[in-house]
Amino acid sequence: MHTLKVQGVTKRYDKVLAVNDVSFEAQPGRILGLLGPNGAGKTTTIRMITYITIPDTGQILFGDQRVSPKSQEIMGYLPEERGLYKKMKVGEQLMYFAELKGMPKRDAKEKIRYWLDRMGALDWVSKETNELSKGMQQKIQFVATILHDPKLLILDEPFGGLDPINADLLQDVILELKDAGRTIVFASHRMEQVEQLCDDICLVSRGEIVVNGPLNDIKHQFGKNTVMIDFEGSDDFLDTLTEDGSVRVNTRSSRHAEIRLLDGTPSKKVLKAALDTVSDITRFELVEPPMREIFVTAVTEQQGRQALEADHSAAQGGQK
Amino acid sequence: MTRNKTFIVAKNEFLKRVKTRWFVFTTLLGPIVMVAFFTIIGFVSASAIEGGDQSILVLDETGRLGSSLSDPDGKLSFDVTDLPEDSLRARVLRGEVNGYLFLPSAVISGDQSAKYYSTEGGGVSSFNFDLRSIIRNTVRIARLEDQDVAPEVFEIINAGVGLDSIKLSDEGEEQGSSAGYAIVGGIMGFLIYLTMLIYGSVVMQGVIQEKTNRVVEIIISSVRPFELLMGKVLGIGAMGLVQMSFWSILIAGGTIFSGTIVSFFVDSASLNLPDTASQAEVLDAVGFNVPDLGPEVFIFFVIYFLLGYLLFATLFAGIGSAVEQQQDAQSLMIPVMMPIIVSIIFLQAVIEAPNSTLSLALSLIPFTSPIPMVVRIAMIDVPWWQIGLSLSLLAGTFVGAVWVSSRIYRVGILSYGKKPSLKEIIKWMRYA
Repeated sequence: MHTLKVQGVTKRYDKVLAVNDVSFEAQPGRILGLLGPNGAGKTTTIRMITYITIPDTGQILFGDQRVSPKSQEIMGYLPEERGLYKKMKVGEQLMYFAELKGMPKRDAKEKIRYWLDRMGALDWVSKETNELSKGMQQKIQFVATILHDPKLLILDEPFGGLDPINADLLQDVILELKDAGRTIVFASHRMEQVEQLCDDICLVSRGEIVVNGPLNDIKHQFGKNTVMIDFEGSDDFLDTLTEDGSVRVNTRSSRHAEIRLLDGTPSKKVLKAALDTVSDITRFELVEPPMREIFVTAVTEQQGRQALEADHSAAQGGQK
Repeated sequence: MTRNKTFIVAKNEFLKRVKTRWFVFTTLLGPIVMVAFFTIIGFVSASAIEGGDQSILVLDETGRLGSSLSDPDGKLSFDVTDLPEDSLRARVLRGEVNGYLFLPSAVISGDQSAKYYSTEGGGVSSFNFDLRSIIRNTVRIARLEDQDVAPEVFEIINAGVGLDSIKLSDEGEEQGSSAGYAIVGGIMGFLIYLTMLIYGSVVMQGVIQEKTNRVVEIIISSVRPFELLMGKVLGIGAMGLVQMSFWSILIAGGTIFSGTIVSFFVDSASLNLPDTASQAEVLDAVGFNVPDLGPEVFIFFVIYFLLGYLLFATLFAGIGSAVEQQQDAQSLMIPVMMPIIVSIIFLQAVIEAPNSTLSLALSLIPFTSPIPMVVRIAMIDVPWWQIGLSLSLLAGTFVGAVWVSSRIYRVGILSYGKKPSLKEIIKWMRYA
């Protein structure tokens, strides 16, 4: 089976440690969400998987073989910053990409027709790219990524700039490919999409993995520590609770709040406090934290720890 | 596999460009522009040589020189006049005559010089040269007459002196001047200069476009950067080769039919030839010999163009990968451009002395060699060891340039943001 294995990979640019001893796996028939703040090392990791750059140490295997020009042919990569040749016709361009992936011309022709048809883009075959709208170009790019039926798909923000209808169209195709047993790596900053699509999560920050595993397990680990409350009336209870340090308010609007329970605060305490000020409660639910919360918590925790360590070692250095 | 992908890239680059209007345009229009360019130069220099027909009024104080002034080529006509100087000046200023010549009586004794008045002043044109020699001859004859010299002496003095240049080579000697060889060599050298620059910057532009378009990241997830670089350089090189072959056939044709071409610009009557004069006769009359160029000249022309292009295009591609805008490339291009500029600066020196140490050195040094060597090959028999050495140095440098450029390229195409310094670029080369 075609499992992607990243094993102890490190990549350094000059003095910057872009990726530090990173290991994770992506399974066929599943979607791995590769997450992390800007500059965390996601792009570097992806470039090593796609054999654009080579790790300093560690190895990357796909289907038990080290990635190579050969594995490039069974990969499809949709970079975040995308582009097409402006003056080339859509059909010629797709044919060029297909040929570079080692596809025979006849197969390529057939696939181009099939996918353009599915994207509702068959009329564009002989149009130059710069005549197309941004959304159309996005779809052409997506077709270029999946044209050669890759076993490994790496999609960096595939929905960026698409309207909901086209986003749904793309999502259908992605899920279809997942069901067909393709290995998919999905990089995104849109946590709702991650939550909706991903089976596994790999969260990197400052070149290191902070969270890794199946999405559901991760959520369980964090436990049901979040209260979702919908109410009518005054929200003064939120301030009272925050002041004594028993909760943190993640989001708050006039009639809704998402509250994180700190240090084992029981949910009952929130309910009691709420009853004192609000006129009515329409929803009170104890849930696992949303992906967005996990992301923020994990990243700030790691960065806080690193800052502490840095202070510590600086202090030690000062003593000597 | 490797060659295959390089080939796919090269094919795409080639077809993409050959199909454009720009390509058809420049291929067909290139020679027309070239011919027009050289025609204008030829025309200007021809008219400087011919000087047109000039009518000159002569105010003769000596009373005997004016009537004996005559131009053996018949281009200048002299009319003796006794109008006052004021009205002569007015006629010159009105443009009725080209100018007037004043011959003071003391001109025969040499105490005073002749004076020529025109709206153009003097200068270094061949007209001044002709006029001076006509006056000198007339004055000399007058001086000799004053001394009662025998008529035989006049004949001796007036007998023409010719100078024929003969080119020596191993195969023997060739009649006529080497002007033809110099012109063809100069054109070839200049063509190589132009095309290296033009195709080199086409490659660079392509690299920059691919980078700023962000297509490059998709491409190199399918192709190694080295293959992409070589595919690009070779594809555009193939396009250049098509253009250059077309043009060199034109040059070859041009040298064969040069007589006919020359006769378009030079009136056969002015050469004292019948209208039915053959090509060879026309060329002979203007002192221009059809250069008898062997096919090896054209073969080396193409080889030097190719190697020179490959070397510079590869370096240009490396530079292009490091920047995001054409302007940013300028300062990085200077070190690469210098040798090309040096070789074009010394083009004239090479044409004048193709066997000099300077010419030899320039045609051996890899970065400058293509232009001077082609000029030399067109003009003289360059020893084989020199061609061999020059070609191997050039080819070796090309291989080195590929290594350097591909290491810069693979990092450069993925680097965005600040324009890198030369120091940073050198650092890139050391990355794994």
